[in-house]
Amino acid sequence: MASRIIAVNRDTHPGIFPIVYGMWLTLRNMFETLFVKGRSATIEYPEKKRNISGRYRGIHLLTAREDGTPKCVACYMCATVCPAECIYIESGERPEKKIEKYPTRFEIDLLRCVYCGFCVDACPEEAILMSRENDLVGTSRAELIMDRDQLMNRGKLAEVGRGYHPTDHDVRRPVRIAALERLKSEHGIVPGMPKRS
Amino acid sequence: MPKCTIDGKEIEVAPGTSVIQAAEQAGVRVPRFCYHDDLPVDGNCRMCMVEIEKFPKLQIACGTTVSEGMVVRTQVTSEKAKVAQRDTLEFLLVNHPIDCPVCDQAGECYLQDQYMENGLHDSRTVLEDKIQKRKVVDLGPIMLDAERCVVCSRCIRYEREVTKTNLLEFVNRGGSTQISTYNGGPITHEYAGNLADVCPVGALLSSDFRFKMRVWFLKETDSVCPGCSTGCNITIDHRDCEAYRFRPRRNVEVNKSWLCDPGRRLYQTIAADRVTTPHRKGGAVAAPSVLLDEVVAKLRAAGQSSAFLASPRASNEDAFTFKKLAEGLGGRLDFRVGNPQDKVKVRKDQILQREDRHANTQGLLDLGLGVTGVETLLNDCKAGKVEALFLQDGAMLEDPGVLDAAQHVAYVVALATHQGPHLAAAHAVIPAAMWAETDGTFTNYDQRVQRFKRAFDAPGDAKPGWEVALDLLARLGKPMNAATAGDVFVLIAAETKAYADLTHRSLGSLGRAVGDPAKTPATA
Amino acid sequence: MPSMPALERDLALEKPAYRILAEKFGEKVLRVTNYRGDLAITVDCSAWREAARTLRDHPELDYKLFLDLCGVDYLSDESRPLRFEVALHLYSVTHKHHIRLKTGLDEKNPVCDTLVDVYKGANWFEREAFDLYGLVFTGHPNLTRILTHDDFVGHPMRKDFATGKRFVNKKSKPWLLTVPKGSEHLVLNIGPSHPAMHGCFRIQALLDGEIIKDCEAEIGYLHRNFEKMAEERTYWQIIPYTDRLNYCSAFINGHGWALAVEKLLGIQSPPRAEAIRVILSELSRIMDHFVCITANVVDLGAITPFFVVFRAREEIYDLLDSVCGARLTVSYVRIGGVAQDVPDDFDARCRKTMGWIREVTEQMDKLLTRNIIFANRFKDVGVFSKDDALSYGWVGPCLRGSGIGYDVRKDHPYSGYDQYDFDVPVGTVGDCYDRYLVRVEEIKQSVRIIDQALSRLPKGHFITEDRKVALPPKSEVYSDIESLMNHFKLVYDGIVAAPGEIYGYVEGANGELGYYIVSDGKKHPARVKVRPPCFNIYQAYPQMIKGKLIADAVAIIGGLNVVAGELDR
Repeated sequence: MASRIIAVNRDTHPGIFPIVYGMWLTLRNMFETLFVKGRSATIEYPEKKRNISGRYRGIHLLTAREDGTPKCVACYMCATVCPAECIYIESGERPEKKIEKYPTRFEIDLLRCVYCGFCVDACPEEAILMSRENDLVGTSRAELIMDRDQLMNRGKLAEVGRGYHPTDHDVRRPVRIAALERLKSEHGIVPGMPKRS
Repeated sequence: MPKCTIDGKEIEVAPGTSVIQAAEQAGVRVPRFCYHDDLPVDGNCRMCMVEIEKFPKLQIACGTTVSEGMVVRTQVTSEKAKVAQRDTLEFLLVNHPIDCPVCDQAGECYLQDQYMENGLHDSRTVLEDKIQKRKVVDLGPIMLDAERCVVCSRCIRYEREVTKTNLLEFVNRGGSTQISTYNGGPITHEYAGNLADVCPVGALLSSDFRFKMRVWFLKETDSVCPGCSTGCNITIDHRDCEAYRFRPRRNVEVNKSWLCDPGRRLYQTIAADRVTTPHRKGGAVAAPSVLLDEVVAKLRAAGQSSAFLASPRASNEDAFTFKKLAEGLGGRLDFRVGNPQDKVKVRKDQILQREDRHANTQGLLDLGLGVTGVETLLNDCKAGKVEALFLQDGAMLEDPGVLDAAQHVAYVVALATHQGPHLAAAHAVIPAAMWAETDGTFTNYDQRVQRFKRAFDAPGDAKPGWEVALDLLARLGKPMNAATAGDVFVLIAAETKAYADLTHRSLGSLGRAVGDPAKTPATA
Repeated sequence: MPSMPALERDLALEKPAYRILAEKFGEKVLRVTNYRGDLAITVDCSAWREAARTLRDHPELDYKLFLDLCGVDYLSDESRPLRFEVALHLYSVTHKHHIRLKTGLDEKNPVCDTLVDVYKGANWFEREAFDLYGLVFTGHPNLTRILTHDDFVGHPMRKDFATGKRFVNKKSKPWLLTVPKGSEHLVLNIGPSHPAMHGCFRIQALLDGEIIKDCEAEIGYLHRNFEKMAEERTYWQIIPYTDRLNYCSAFINGHGWALAVEKLLGIQSPPRAEAIRVILSELSRIMDHFVCITANVVDLGAITPFFVVFRAREEIYDLLDSVCGARLTVSYVRIGGVAQDVPDDFDARCRKTMGWIREVTEQMDKLLTRNIIFANRFKDVGVFSKDDALSYGWVGPCLRGSGIGYDVRKDHPYSGYDQYDFDVPVGTVGDCYDRYLVRVEEIKQSVRIIDQALSRLPKGHFITEDRKVALPPKSEVYSDIESLMNHFKLVYDGIVAAPGEIYGYVEGANGELGYYIVSDGKKHPARVKVRPPCFNIYQAYPQMIKGKLIADAVAIIGGLNVVAGELDR
């Protein structure tokens, strides 16, 4: 494609007009901000919050099964992929044979975390998600190491909303589509997350 | 010696070599499930298909013997072989559960590895079509998950050929085939852990290791099992200074691919109840150098009436420096408590274990430590002829004979790894590192010198025995020219005829037999 | 003739660099490789300096632009007789060609000649190689630590350095300069924390009235050894770290990293991913230029442009949030594509943002370009000649401000930049004003590129389908064992690259941002070296302000756009 090298024009004849223009611009912006609705660039934090996107990578949360137990099966994928090594897991035995395993300890050091979202990408169970919450306040370091129950019972989630989460995007492979269509026609099943008893 | 060509590379192999072994020698790993180096060939998994010139169809590499002039093309160069292997893998996965997240095998699973190497196919099956089988079946030391099984029969052949117990068998047919013990009873023999190792997938897993750690976090260090005089080669799997499990390391001359369960459990002893600080009688903690100075003063004062009791659990390096320490003071020296000397070669069972539960009896004999006999030494203690007694392993005080003798001695020093009430008899306790925490060598019943490597650091102030002995020798004014265990071994080789010319490096990963091979045949 | 495969040799023989070096140095040219199209020549240590000089001076070669010099430690590679290697990256603006010159150094005596008299820019790079690897460059004027502090023990990038160690810096370094005895000049410390310092770095100046008689710079305050951390991470895990290099235009760093790894793997991203990357890279470039220009004039006392352009910058950040999930530390790029497809309203939001950018760029232009105060502070201040700029290894807007029209996007198009119509502005004098004008023009050109990319954003996948590189779709991971195994292997083993080394580069906001990656076939890279544009640029700063007024020093620093995250790594 056509690309040229162009010399910048230095011959600009400087004068005082830009100074006057600057004053006018400032005044105009001031009045517009005061009187034109939606023109203001600032918000009245903390009464109002920013409109954060649904992909925002805020503080994590652990999802639960219908019976309230963690969906997490302690596979350590998140702890493996975490570049900041901020996830600590200990696993134990669950009585259900179809699930077998669950985290007896699951801790995230939110001060160490870099909020890259790789744990969400790596999770094979949709057990870890991120919320839109981003005001992280504590009085000690220990307070900001969240344990399993804190991560599961994030009261603020309803208020702040879900952030970064896995999406069911459209790169399904043709062979896979054929298999699923067969399943639908033969069994009338539309699979999503595998059902474990 | 037949010559063959594998993927364009010409190699010469021993007669009777199978294609799968020849390929491995040529640097190509043909994927496999049922083939195992130390089990009879079964050829049931059909994974190792390769293309051989002049054969109309693909052949299984494990069941085909190399013949002169054979031209083999594996999955590396043959598209046909690659496709066949991929299809076999897809078949094996048809009923495989979606279990990687909860399966301990993930990370060392043949299915995962071989899928990533040359599978990478799309799935054509759906979850709802998979056949359900028994899961989480407790077989004692082993957990069985029949859904994950690829029906390779490795475990069945292991039971039949190695332990000769025949505890496992296939039941049902076709897609519903699964392995089972009779009436679901437990595995009762002492070699159950190997079942988890031979299983190429997550069908048989160790109950002990279950859910403890993901294997990709673990670092591997080559070592030798200290459980008995057989000296099985092992790998220590560890993370952050903690050992999680032992796995057998293949050594055809010693243990093939096997390890006994008592040996496997020894990893638990590394973390439990360790002595971490030097202390005096009654538990008063002392600074290391203060206590060592005190020990040197007492030993020097005792002079020829000092006695040294070496431990057959100590490495050659520990024993040699200990001997030098005894010689430096002119004290008496012997070793062995409990087992009579001739037990070293006696088998406990027909597989691996031996009656002598010490790792290095043979090494201490080779180093010339058994001269006067331990009974004389202990009797001298009781008779009050010994003023200072140095025990190379505090655990020897658990033996009533030693404890009784020690109580007649004015000053008892013990190098100790583990705490316990028996240590109360010692006037000075010096914390010692275990074998996993230092470099060294053991000599097994067969006079095979085998090297173990340091996996991680010892806790607290604990130091390897050879390091403590070198420190004491330096404080005595008789320093030795050695800074590492390797340096000590060079000195051993210079003085010990049987070990002449050996170095840590030349021992390699599998060790070197220095005895007369005709007199001591290798294990069955 | 050095040993190499026949095909590679043929390719190498076509390159004049190899032919000329082989003619001149004969046996001393030890090895030549052309892996992934990167010409790399290894010479014997004794020919090191002369080989570099030949590359620079020979008219057929003309490798005048110094890019990078770094050490590499091959501790566990037993096929190499020499443990260390020094790798020099050069570029020929006239022939549009990169070259890598290497020499091996012995473990016991890692010494080679300095290149300071060949390339001025080699000075700090050699100090860095000394600091991090303990390599010694004979003839170097000041071979001292540069990134770590004086109480640091050992050389942290060596493979046998125990990474758990901590060394506390207990004594401050009051003097960077040697003040002549009896001098009555004033010593002034600017930084490490100072409103006129654009980040945490320090200048010590010796003032005679308002004139800077002598000055010296100190860096390393933000050093975290990203390169060492990269050696213990998988290729994928390194992505968040790259966001923290030049944090004013974080996306471009990730873009560069992904392209470098893709070059190492020999794969390509799908066109849609490339177009998304181009759009986000150009938005990042615009933000970076906004910050550079307006923060620069804040130093001169003008706050209005700062507030004016930050309105558009906020819009860009909001757009990045909606696409990437974060405003600053985007972590959006993936090897082989991007993390997710852009949201449905991307086109509309992007066009709205573009409206803001156009509006504030015009306002900024009106406020500054013809402003008499601004022009007087900028014109003919901080003039830097072409030759110096090349020798120091200046790149990007600063190099173009000095009159050399080298732009990676144009001369070595990547991510489909060859499909877009845009111009490369250059300056004529090489002063602050030229650098300013180049940046303003680049903002306008970036807007053109985004317009074109947006209007023909290709359909298709946003990440490669290669199962050895990209994670499988989540829906499949949940429901079929093949994808689940694929997912597991990719997470715990990462992407495995074949042994080899490449130098991947993109046009960062500050110029050529390069990644030199050495792979030994394992899941972690054996060596990652960032070629940070700021490092070269800031290195010249003390020379630029010597003999100038202190007020000019303040005017110059902002226009160089030094970002500490990238400078100190």
